Amino acid sequence: MTAGPAWHQPTTLEEALALRAELGDEAVVLAGGTFVGVLMGQGLLEPEALLSLGRVRELVAVEAGDDLVLGAMTTHRAVERSAAVRAGWPALARAFELVASPRIRNQATVGGVLADADYASDPPAMLCALGARAVARGPAGTREIPIEELVLGYYETSLATDELLVEVRVPGGAERSTYRKFRSRSHEDRPCVAVAAALAGGRLRVVVGAVAGTPQLFPDVCALADGGPLDRAVAEEIGRRYAERVDAISDVRGSAAYRRRVVAVEVRRAIEELAA
Amino acid sequence: MSPIEWFEQQIVDGRTRYVGDGAPPDALHARVVRSPYAHARVRGVDASAVAADVVVLLPGDVRDLAPYGCQIADQTVLALDRVRHVGDPVAAVAAATPRAAEEAARAIEVDYEELPAALDLDAALAPGATLVHEAHRISENDAAYFGIRPEHGTNVCHRFRIRHGDVAEGFALADVVVEEEYRTPAAQHAPLEPHAATAQWRDGRLEVFTGSHTPFNVRSDLARIFGVGEDRVRIVCPPMGGSFGSKTFVRVEAIAAALARKAGRPVSLVLPRAEEWVTLNRHPSRIRVRVGATREGVLVAKEVDAWVDTGAYADCGPGVAQKVGFSVVGPYRIPHVRVDSCCVYTHLPPNGAFRGFGATQAAWASERTMDVLSDRLGLDPLELRLRNVLRDGDVFATGETMHDVHFEELLRRAASAVAWEEGRSGKGLALVLKGMQTPSRASIAVERRAEGGWFLRCATAELGQGSRKALTLLAGELLGCEPREVVFLSPDTDVVPYDTRSTSSRSTYMMGRALEAAVADLRASGGERGEGEYRNAGGLDPDTGQGVASSHWHQGAAAVELGVDEETGRVELARAHAAVYAGRVVNRKGAELQNEGSMVMGLGSALFEEVAFAEGQVVNANLSDYEIPSLADLPRSLTHDLVEKPGAEVHGLGETAVPPVPAAVGNALGSLGLHVTRLPLTAESVLAAVDRRDGRDGGLA
Repeated sequence: MTAGPAWHQPTTLEEALALRAELGDEAVVLAGGTFVGVLMGQGLLEPEALLSLGRVRELVAVEAGDDLVLGAMTTHRAVERSAAVRAGWPALARAFELVASPRIRNQATVGGVLADADYASDPPAMLCALGARAVARGPAGTREIPIEELVLGYYETSLATDELLVEVRVPGGAERSTYRKFRSRSHEDRPCVAVAAALAGGRLRVVVGAVAGTPQLFPDVCALADGGPLDRAVAEEIGRRYAERVDAISDVRGSAAYRRRVVAVEVRRAIEELAA
Repeated sequence: MSPIEWFEQQIVDGRTRYVGDGAPPDALHARVVRSPYAHARVRGVDASAVAADVVVLLPGDVRDLAPYGCQIADQTVLALDRVRHVGDPVAAVAAATPRAAEEAARAIEVDYEELPAALDLDAALAPGATLVHEAHRISENDAAYFGIRPEHGTNVCHRFRIRHGDVAEGFALADVVVEEEYRTPAAQHAPLEPHAATAQWRDGRLEVFTGSHTPFNVRSDLARIFGVGEDRVRIVCPPMGGSFGSKTFVRVEAIAAALARKAGRPVSLVLPRAEEWVTLNRHPSRIRVRVGATREGVLVAKEVDAWVDTGAYADCGPGVAQKVGFSVVGPYRIPHVRVDSCCVYTHLPPNGAFRGFGATQAAWASERTMDVLSDRLGLDPLELRLRNVLRDGDVFATGETMHDVHFEELLRRAASAVAWEEGRSGKGLALVLKGMQTPSRASIAVERRAEGGWFLRCATAELGQGSRKALTLLAGELLGCEPREVVFLSPDTDVVPYDTRSTSSRSTYMMGRALEAAVADLRASGGERGEGEYRNAGGLDPDTGQGVASSHWHQGAAAVELGVDEETGRVELARAHAAVYAGRVVNRKGAELQNEGSMVMGLGSALFEEVAFAEGQVVNANLSDYEIPSLADLPRSLTHDLVEKPGAEVHGLGETAVPPVPAAVGNALGSLGLHVTRLPLTAESVLAAVDRRDGRDGGLA
């Protein structure tokens, strides 16, 4: 009989990075535990070791300047309740506020929800729409990864096995932004379709999340909004094209065909909200 | 603080000790090895890789034990040569810790040869379908209390019939006939506390502590399984953290007991959450209804063919088929009725008792049909119901004369709660008539305590429904003492008298009546000890459905108002109201909570609860992928009535407000021209109905 996974609990980032470099694949990084805990509980994940970041205080931070910097171990609840985030990045606060229930949000972290790359999540689409970048650190140094390049597919990211996601940088200055979470079942459900949209420097960025492995952004479709009024016709056309272009799956929250229908509607509504 | 409040406070504080909290220090912890296939031959089970200190229970260890089942004896302690559903137990282990047990379970290799499976009603009923069981042997358990009619050589393990009047003659009188087929899916009970039992053998006696509300049925089956007298088996049932019907009859007790016998030590078996979905769900159903009326809206004939999917083991499915059979007639005067209701085996996990016990499936089909009919007649659905609803003195399809029925008042109250008179767009109504187990028997003993006050000894189990409190309050009234002077003992078959079981919303009524008799006996016999019994008499002929279905009726109505986002199909509830006949309320707060809880459960079934399967495997066996309602899902206004009458008898109300809710939601959609025949009413199915109404092919299934 084994005693369960070895438990590593560093208290500084330096120590955590050293352990990450040393253990690599052997240790699963544990942030809030709302994802890893469920997988372990279901027997889907049986790690040899856990590298818990729960005591690394320097990873808990909400710093609002020109950019918003969120430490990887900042909880969803801390983001949604931050006055600075609510004032400067209201749609982002909203996206975190709509996750599951307060019990989960008190535990789930910013770094966790990105590094899990669980498709049925709220924050990644919104972070992507705002042009956020994940900051990864490892032996080779620090690099910034746009969200759309961080999430590669279902539960798969571009983080190296010796890197830790340490913070997320969200540019400020979006004129308008919105997050629409479409749930096909309970209000506490994960999104069936997530639509995040932002207007920054006059450019539209619409991201559809939760319908397939990665947040989906189609800059050429968004460009239809360039230079003209953001009216209903444009919103509808962009919605229609997103519905055609998105990769969509069928799961317990809805079929692929249904998701496309909803994408057309929710993308249009999101753009109309930006224009309102 | 009175003991009653203390009892509730204990639950809130986490001080109540549930079965899973109470394993003795020397107990081993069990895990079950389950089939990954819906149907397979078991060619071999290899436990050679399991650590030596782990107790392993293999098919060979249980081959000589008798088969069991509360209505049909179709289940063995472990699957012997064949597994019949994903999750069917093939082996079990007991080890020093739950983790060691989990590892040992994983070390067991089972060699399977997959066989063709019947994964739904259609497949199981098709000519030449694979048989789930070759023979159907009726159980000797007293839960097989009515005539069970298996159809040998088929997957039908029971069929129930109602023959009332002459339907051909009835339909000949009809100006309008509507016909439709309705379906409901499997649903999961999802109590907070999973199934749990601790078993031990002491001096040749089996003692089982189990979260169950059927102690005497469990005792009877365990005695038969192990070939011992019922006096050699003791069942103790501490309070449960919810059940909703899932903790009825033998669930995990037989495996725990067989392991304990082999181990020579106590064994505790607490199911991991995911295993709840392969242990018991609600019966999926397919119900075809045909009803005829005159152009004045008078019902003249009704024909129903119903099938409930009981999964791989019958459990109480025959009883569910029977209750679907008479509930589906609806609370209406109909001179000509034919019902055929069948309980069908499939290779899915077993389905059994679920709050509502068939009435939810029945009301979904029959009450949707009433609205379809009212549409065809151009008659207000409220008016159609009022023209046909059962009133005192009317004869029901079972031939029994109805008494103490209040459907008209319930209907009017429900309608008025959603301002029906101001327009009915987005609004729906539904009624339910639900039987209470008939016949049945309850008994109780009242004893003076040496320390002062009174003991109540009875088999009524506390599963969160509040029976313990209701009976304590009644005892206080009858004994002329403060409720805090009454000590209510947990059911223990060694020391409590017989009771049928704590199901069917019968305990406050039946045990309350027995308590009245016990207190009378106490007064008549010196004031130290009194015993009382109450029996309700009746029953139905399974071939004609004639007799007494229920010695008294649970009656309810629901009304719902909603809006639909017609671009996505998402339903937003505005108001929901249930009106339930209570007769006389014993514990007001508890009764209110039962009504509210029932409505919320009904809303979950209406809108999104569904156990999803792929090749017989549950694909949403967790509480993230299987959704139950949260507080945020409730309508802005969720209200209810407890209808009382002076001098009326107590009526059970633990389930009554569940069944009419999905039908009321469906009817509210129907008022918008959105006709959906299958539960749950997912956003996607509603959007497909919008497409159909608007004559558009939107590419949805």
